[in-house]
Amino acid sequence: MGANQRLRRRTVWLLVIILAVGFGAVIARLGYLQIVSGEDLQRRAVEQQLSDTTISAKRGTIYDTNGKILAQSASVWRVVLAPAYFQNDEQREFVAKRLSEILGLDEKELLEDCKEQSYYVSVKRKIESEEKEQILKLQNEIEEKYNIASVISLFDDYKRYYPYSDLASSVIGFTGSDDQGLWGIEYQYDEYLTGTPGRIIAAKNAGQTDMPYGFNQNIEAVDGNSIVLTIDESIQSIVEKYMAQEIINDAVYNRGVCIIMDVNTGAVYAMASVNGFDLNDPFEISSEAKQKINAIDADYLVKNKIVEDTSKLSDEELKKAISDAKSVAESEALAKSWRNKAISDTYYPGSVFKMVTLSMALEEKVVNADSRFTCTGSYQVYESTIHCHDTSGHGTQTYQESLMHSCNPAFIQIGQLIGEEKFWEYYQAFGFSDKTGIDLPGESEDQFFDWEGVEGAMGPTDLAVASFGQNFSITPIQMITACAAVCNGGKLVQPHVVKQILDKDGNVVKNISTESKRQVISKSVSDEMREILERNAIEGSGKNGYVAGYRIGGKTGTTEKLIDENEDGIKDYIASYCGFAPANDPKVACLVFFDTPTSGNYYGSVVSAPVFASIMSEVLPYLEISAQYTAEELQTIDTTAGSYTGMSVTDAERQANLDGFNVTVKGEGSTVLAQNPVTGSVLSMGGTIVLYTDEESSSEKVEVPNFIGSSVAEVNLIASYYDLNVSIAGATLSGDSEAVAQSIEEGTSVSPGSVITVTFAAGSIND
Amino acid sequence: MSTIESTSRRLRSDYEERRRRSSRPQRQKKKFSLLSIGKGLDMPFTLIILVLLAVGITMMFSASYPSAYYQIGDSYYYLKRQLLFAAIGLVIMIAVSFVDYHYYHRFALFILGVSYFALVLVLILPAQNGVHRWVGIGAFGIQASEISKFAIILFLAHWGSRYYDRMDTMKYGVLPALAVFASTSLLLFLEPHYSCIVIIAILTVVMLFVSGIKLKWLIIGGVVLAGLIILLWSTGLLTYAMTRVKGWGQALSASRDDLKLWNDTWQTRNSLYAIGSGGVFGLGLGQSRQKYLYLPEPQNDFIFAIVCEELGLIGAVVILIIFALLVWRGVIISLRARDRFGKLLGIGLVTHIGLQVILNILVITDWLPNTGISLPFFSYGGSSLMMLLFEMGVVLSISRSSNIEKS
Repeated sequence: MGANQRLRRRTVWLLVIILAVGFGAVIARLGYLQIVSGEDLQRRAVEQQLSDTTISAKRGTIYDTNGKILAQSASVWRVVLAPAYFQNDEQREFVAKRLSEILGLDEKELLEDCKEQSYYVSVKRKIESEEKEQILKLQNEIEEKYNIASVISLFDDYKRYYPYSDLASSVIGFTGSDDQGLWGIEYQYDEYLTGTPGRIIAAKNAGQTDMPYGFNQNIEAVDGNSIVLTIDESIQSIVEKYMAQEIINDAVYNRGVCIIMDVNTGAVYAMASVNGFDLNDPFEISSEAKQKINAIDADYLVKNKIVEDTSKLSDEELKKAISDAKSVAESEALAKSWRNKAISDTYYPGSVFKMVTLSMALEEKVVNADSRFTCTGSYQVYESTIHCHDTSGHGTQTYQESLMHSCNPAFIQIGQLIGEEKFWEYYQAFGFSDKTGIDLPGESEDQFFDWEGVEGAMGPTDLAVASFGQNFSITPIQMITACAAVCNGGKLVQPHVVKQILDKDGNVVKNISTESKRQVISKSVSDEMREILERNAIEGSGKNGYVAGYRIGGKTGTTEKLIDENEDGIKDYIASYCGFAPANDPKVACLVFFDTPTSGNYYGSVVSAPVFASIMSEVLPYLEISAQYTAEELQTIDTTAGSYTGMSVTDAERQANLDGFNVTVKGEGSTVLAQNPVTGSVLSMGGTIVLYTDEESSSEKVEVPNFIGSSVAEVNLIASYYDLNVSIAGATLSGDSEAVAQSIEEGTSVSPGSVITVTFAAGSIND
Repeated sequence: MSTIESTSRRLRSDYEERRRRSSRPQRQKKKFSLLSIGKGLDMPFTLIILVLLAVGITMMFSASYPSAYYQIGDSYYYLKRQLLFAAIGLVIMIAVSFVDYHYYHRFALFILGVSYFALVLVLILPAQNGVHRWVGIGAFGIQASEISKFAIILFLAHWGSRYYDRMDTMKYGVLPALAVFASTSLLLFLEPHYSCIVIIAILTVVMLFVSGIKLKWLIIGGVVLAGLIILLWSTGLLTYAMTRVKGWGQALSASRDDLKLWNDTWQTRNSLYAIGSGGVFGLGLGQSRQKYLYLPEPQNDFIFAIVCEELGLIGAVVILIIFALLVWRGVIISLRARDRFGKLLGIGLVTHIGLQVILNILVITDWLPNTGISLPFFSYGGSSLMMLLFEMGVVLSISRSSNIEKS
């Protein structure tokens, strides 16, 4: 075979190999990729071209019942670096330096970020518009200086703002760094508030800027729904104002609770665990708690049995043990400040529970007008002797009197008439054995007696103490719900804090309607209970909760906690008051509860009842519940001084008399030059208006006398004698009220006609 | 009376006279004139080159303008340069087609020397991006390996035609080629530039095969080469290739959790996304999405991925058929050459192009590691395009010579 022939033949072979095998393989491979796995590859390509452009949905707003904003999301931005676009270290250093200046971050760490070979390094979240503007400027600067775009990107983000900071903090709750609800309404209604994140499916290049032309498919972010609470910001503010004041006044150790609820619908108008925390900074520990945490040392470890003997530990181990203990204490402090005591704390309801016990007895008809209960100061149940707070005894009482005296021996007898079985049935019927199901996280269960492992079965003395509310624990929300059932005609309603859910345009998505769980007691029993509790609030143990002009029903309670002393060696008391108004047609119930006052006052009647009265005296007018004064009260009703200045003396006198005031004229002139109190001042009906008719007379002064210890009638008498006016505050209806404070001190020189506020309190009361 | 000697002398002088006579008028025809540029050129081959060049530049522009826009600020940056290089390259091609390829016979060893010089020079010059590949004057640079590939084809054609009758021996058929291949490979290994080693290995085998060496040597050579690669692999000397090979075949399974692997396979993965996105009919000319900074340097080695995305499987196959026609026509031209040197040189040059096309597409489809093999006529690059057109000029010169012989 010749060389040329061989060459020709081998060349043909070569050609076949190149074309058939080489090109054949290539075409087969391309066909596989483009036809068989084409769809999958295209999906992945599209995903990459689009997936980075997810946009957050705006979280819904939380409104109070009147549409005031309690929680709101505002636009902020997230800064993201694409360091893979940097061309040299000079650029990296420049950007790291400028970013650290703008964002207040560590320059070294930023430089490390800038050195990563990545297209996505998140640098800082939630920057505000001021920083955003600076970043935009920096972007331009980088582009001009180095001709590299898209190294820094800004992504939309949202931040949560709470305009009222600590108002209703444990109810509203807060969100975490990813905008997820962590506590309160924010947690409970998270799925409604969150919304659906959207995607801008405008094509982006790998540098995240828009392509010069594009294929746009936008999936809009669906903003979260808004929540309208039943909470009323005005009522909540009133509540928190008085609660915070009382916490200071009586040195309350462990916060206080107040709930105001619509007795017919279960809508909660206010729910406060005071003091709250700043919702805008929920992880900030209060300075008090901080001090305690900082004081943690080796002794603390031994005292709290964290370690047995610190001398056995090396320095390092000790340091670690201390820092561990500190971080535990920190999270405990935070948990404590977030705790919604109104639904999470359980306590012995004490004497407040007597309204429930008496309701049971009336419903079961085991007491009637002829029933009499004798109290000798103590009562023997099996081996235990139970004392009444009035150790000399209340004598023989009707059931109404028993409640007004808050007499424990009488209630033991009533409890015995009811019997263990019925007691447990009614306990369940009033909703104490179940969570109320309020739409908030963290609700606790009650702890009722169990006898040999059976809940509701009571031991020999259990019924006796239970009948006056001791030795079983319930939550405040359970107590007020039961109180609502007692006074609203016997319906157990579902307490709730959310009224409506709205979409982003304000259309109603869902209305939360009133849910009545069951009829617990009959309307007639409820009617009778209202009367008894109203009388109790006027002349019985609850009289410090009385609000002039309104018909109030209520009951006080004082309980010791089961644990004798807390860690700080303080005896734990709970002082509470639970009441409703108006007593003839109840609209709202209010429970006030202070956990461990340390001032020495710890009776519900002394600590909680006046707070209840103060709160209700503002809340009831706010709710436009009209006042109905008794004839006696009209004496003490405040009114407003008219304008008499510039009139002739006779005209002024006539006008002032018409307005219901007495008149004292000072000076010799014929025209009124000045008056005291001035126009618009508030003073009692029948008070004195002093009219000045010349210059000399207006410099006249009187000394303020002492009002303290006097009754209302006496105070009025003294005031008119001195040409002064009084404004009467506090409990005045019961016969033994006496003045306990006056707004201007004795001996001060004031102009005649000046108004002095005199505060009254009922005489000594026990629960 | 004439002796055998005188007879033979006369016969020889007659032969020489005849040859002189026959060659003279032909030389006159070769005088340069614009009208005679096309004379003797193989028209199908020329046409295929021009079509490939036109399609190639169009696609290069389409693939490059987003990255040119974003990274340089001038969408036409690569187009302008490539057009200039193509124009210069075409002039070179035409000029070279006039040069009698037999001149290269004399320069075969000299060009081989230049190749070695360039390969050593790049090792002395500072590295760019961690590799020693480019030699350059000012802004104009060329990869030393481009010279080497041509030099080896030329040398093997020279050797195979000169000792055609001894190619089945070991001394003439195997050892010289082996020596050239081994020494060149060693220098490329130091650059390092592994893909080029693969190409010259295949080219050497192809040239020896066509030159007529015994098949057993090729089999032995293949076994030895495989052994050598395994040895290098096991001793970890393939450091550079390892990082590239590491992501080989894992482009689609890599996740962001392994950031290094993710970044290593970034280019291949986005190439596959682009090819897959094209489907059968493609997204349309200019409609690629992957070229928007997702596929890095889309105008270079991975340009065919953008071609596939925009023109689909149909467009890709049509372009591959044009490449196949180029190889086919090139082989026919080579086989028609008057002498063995022309045949071997032509076959070597067109095989080289076919090889580059096949290897390039196997790389962008993740069947071969990402090693830097450009696509002829498509990939951006001045020196490689001009070198390519120079080589095409040589093939045209072979066609011109045999066509003119016939006429």
